[in-house]
Amino acid sequence: MAADFEAPRISYATRRRLARVAETTILLITLAIIVFPIAWIITTAFKTPRDVYDLSIVFPPTVQNFVIAFNAPWNLGSKLVNSIVVSTVTVGIAIPIATLAAYSFSRFEFFMKRSLFLLVLATQFIPAVVIILPFFLMFRDVALMDTRTGLIIVNLAIVTPFAVWMIKGYLDAIPNESEEAALVDGASRVRVIFDVVVPMALPGMITAAVFCFILTWNEFIFALILTRENAVTLPVGLISFRTERGDWWELIAASGIIITVPMFMLALVIQRHFVKGMTMGAVR
Amino acid sequence: MAEIVLSGVTKRFGDFVAVHTLDLAVVDREFLVLLGPSGCGKTTTMRMIAGLEEPSAGEIRIGGRVVNDLPPRARDVAMVFQNYGLYPHMSVADNIGYPLKLRGVPREERAAQVRAVAAKVRLDGLLERKPAALSGGQRQRVGLARALIRKPTVFLMDEPLSNLDAKLRVEMRAELKHLHHELAVTTVYVTHDQIEAMTLATRVAVMNKGIIHQLGTPDEIYNEPADLFVAGFIGSPAMNLIDGRIDDGTFVAGRLRIDGLGRSTRESVVLGIRPEDMTIGPAGSGHGDLPVYSSELTGDSTLITLADGNTRIAVRADKTVRPAIDDVVALRIDPRRCYLFDAATTRRLAI
Amino acid sequence: MSDRLLKYLLLLPAILIVVLTTVYPLAFSLITSFRDWDLTRNLEPTGFVGFENYVYALTEDYDFYDAVRVTVWFVVLDVAATVLIALGLAVILRRNGTLHRATRVLLILPFAMSPALIGISWRFMFNPEVGVFTYVLGVLFPWLRGQAWLADPTLAMAAMVSCDVWHWMPYMTLVLLGGLASLPRDSEEAARIDGASEWRVFLDVTLPQLRPVIAVVTILKTVFALKMFDQVVTLTGGGPGNRTATLAYLVYRVAFSAFDMGAASALAWILTAVLIALGAYYMRFLIVKAH
Ligand SMILES: Nc1ncnc2c1ncn2[C@@H]1O[C@H](COP(=O)(O)OP(=O)(O)OP(=O)(O)O)[C@@H](O)[C@H]1O
Ligand SMILES: [Mg+2]
Repeated sequence: MAADFEAPRISYATRRRLARVAETTILLITLAIIVFPIAWIITTAFKTPRDVYDLSIVFPPTVQNFVIAFNAPWNLGSKLVNSIVVSTVTVGIAIPIATLAAYSFSRFEFFMKRSLFLLVLATQFIPAVVIILPFFLMFRDVALMDTRTGLIIVNLAIVTPFAVWMIKGYLDAIPNESEEAALVDGASRVRVIFDVVVPMALPGMITAAVFCFILTWNEFIFALILTRENAVTLPVGLISFRTERGDWWELIAASGIIITVPMFMLALVIQRHFVKGMTMGAVR
Repeated sequence: MAEIVLSGVTKRFGDFVAVHTLDLAVVDREFLVLLGPSGCGKTTTMRMIAGLEEPSAGEIRIGGRVVNDLPPRARDVAMVFQNYGLYPHMSVADNIGYPLKLRGVPREERAAQVRAVAAKVRLDGLLERKPAALSGGQRQRVGLARALIRKPTVFLMDEPLSNLDAKLRVEMRAELKHLHHELAVTTVYVTHDQIEAMTLATRVAVMNKGIIHQLGTPDEIYNEPADLFVAGFIGSPAMNLIDGRIDDGTFVAGRLRIDGLGRSTRESVVLGIRPEDMTIGPAGSGHGDLPVYSSELTGDSTLITLADGNTRIAVRADKTVRPAIDDVVALRIDPRRCYLFDAATTRRLAI
Repeated sequence: MSDRLLKYLLLLPAILIVVLTTVYPLAFSLITSFRDWDLTRNLEPTGFVGFENYVYALTEDYDFYDAVRVTVWFVVLDVAATVLIALGLAVILRRNGTLHRATRVLLILPFAMSPALIGISWRFMFNPEVGVFTYVLGVLFPWLRGQAWLADPTLAMAAMVSCDVWHWMPYMTLVLLGGLASLPRDSEEAARIDGASEWRVFLDVTLPQLRPVIAVVTILKTVFALKMFDQVVTLTGGGPGNRTATLAYLVYRVAFSAFDMGAASALAWILTAVLIALGAYYMRFLIVKAH
């Protein structure tokens, strides 16, 4: 029976070496494909307008683009502030609210629990374009157009259900015993939530917060339609660099760095939890 | 023709050495049992023979051919995994038949062979189930059947009966013994069960911390332990190992005086004596009077523990002997059944 | 306070948000989809027209059919490329090595990047004269030298797919890697011992066990692809012509260029219906798996 497998044309040792070479090659190509566009954007941000249209890699670097972008007429600073405010406030509202709801879903049985949870989950499948129309019409009437408040409201639509789903996953994994011990010790249910549940769920809440922050920060379609000038966020701000007089590519790259670097840092911080958190959760 | 030769085989996991420059020759058609405490490197050794783990150093030959570079499928070994290694998505029948499927055996013939081998391991009636719907012992027998359906050059079995109940284990042991006789395939077998080792093995290799301490027939391992580790590990209840010194052939430790152990004189030796090689009698009638520390009736005998200071000495006495705790009794030892070990080198000393 | 009351109280804010920010707008646009409401003529909605908006979209609206064709192409290519590449990469990355570890860390980066930024950067890098992608691809594949990628319907679609694959494939690789990590290693080892080649091990043992995770990845990616919008705006603007205008983008144009709210709502609801159907399938799948 051994004969079935014997004497391959290429020896096993050679084959293994070939496989290893192929593997390394594929990984190097993958790394190049991931890193190259990012690197190119970064280098472009430090090029003078003349060098931008040159494919050279060696050039005299300049920070001029950042200076220009942060000054009139581009005012990247105000967009940065908008992005920070909108993302922070959205996450600041969504996470506590989502934690409470997730706790209820995780620990209690109640009327229509499953339907309600499916409703929360279902929101993740709704395309943004279908809910943006009513918001557009409503916001005109109540003067929320082009305001950060308006943006925060619509962003909550994305982020809250997602955070509920994610945090519930973490809470489900926390054993009930320590809560019950606190209840027996005489704590009220509300005390238990703050003294026992929140500290234990904190890593999960932080991961959810980072996810939601990234989603809100990069959100594009709501900001595109619901802002004009005052509440424009960084991603939508990119579009303004495309003018009749041409695309200011080096400025796009400079603001690209401003958009991207903070998110890279956040993503790397929660790297380990990333996959677990989103496997079943986020859709939008 | 399939002897297995390991020469200087080492396996490191990072800084940790799991198997240490191992030399082992498994003779063709032999049934070699690897015996040793948990974590001593038995599974690792097997996995290297199977090709699942690459040795960090050394050479492995099967049937004269160096197999270091061969993938598992080119080594023609069948293996029973310690954790079963079943295919969770396949039925029991498909699990067992998979090796044959890979070899292009036609469906009907495959089914017939699967039925035959399933009957041998008492799995009939479970063939359509998925592994998840089986008990631990049933799963283990699926793993066993999947190996037995093949006629490989080498069988590797990693505690294949560990999860079976006592009765089934005896039955399966007999099956394996018969099968080995019938097929005469070189087999390496890991077990914690000493009876299994003694009954199945042509030879036993006693391992500890990645090193083979002794390789010999079950009889040799039991009756001529090479060192303290083997002496203490083989036998149940374990051999008594008593620290003391020897003075012109008389062993002295606490209240014990055992003479007739040759003529040598030596500080720090260890005396080894199995519980079944001693008896107790009325005080003053033996090699020392000791108080009874505990006494347990095990069914066919009484296991008596005596105290000599802080040393505990276990004696297997006749089931009619029922001393009370704190009774003082005499320990009688057959000097011909005593072993002496050098406390420093742990090697056995000639008497 | 009793738990009976508390459990609803805890739920209330989140449910309120969901109802106000998703359920209500959905209902609103559903009603609008049965109205004739051209914002350029009337600021307030006018009368109901029944299914007229839907009938028009499904029978006469060539833009709709073009958008459906573009969307189907995009989804098929995008999902196939993402899932296949991610699967292959995940299998390789499962092993350990310095290069493997480095790749695993860096895989997180594209996902953290703004899709709008990716789109607009791709637009520049696919510039026919000064785009670095155009240049590199021209060197590697001479027949692509100096191509105006975004002006050619096929190449523009390819650019759009590449953009979205770059954004999502690394993340999906990580998800599949997570799935692979949870598989029992010894069943694959058993197959190797049983005589299976690496390829057979993958086909017979790894793949069947990974199927649920692959299904999740495929469904999710399909949903993402159907909803994909940012890169159409920033990369191709739907062009050339409307050859990369997806359904989501068409809704946007009808609503905010033509300001035909009735028609846009109807189109949006057609897309929503597809997504809800997929979502229902996904949730059923998750529930089945949970038991
Ligand atoms: N992949 C690994 N990485 C690091 N250490 C390992 C690995 N596999 C095994 N070891 C270590 O090597 C040693 C030997 O392991 P092995 O599985 O061979 O033990 P064993 O003799 O089969 O034990 P048992 O009787 O419990 O099955 C153990 O200490 C174990 O912790
Ligand atoms: Mg083991």
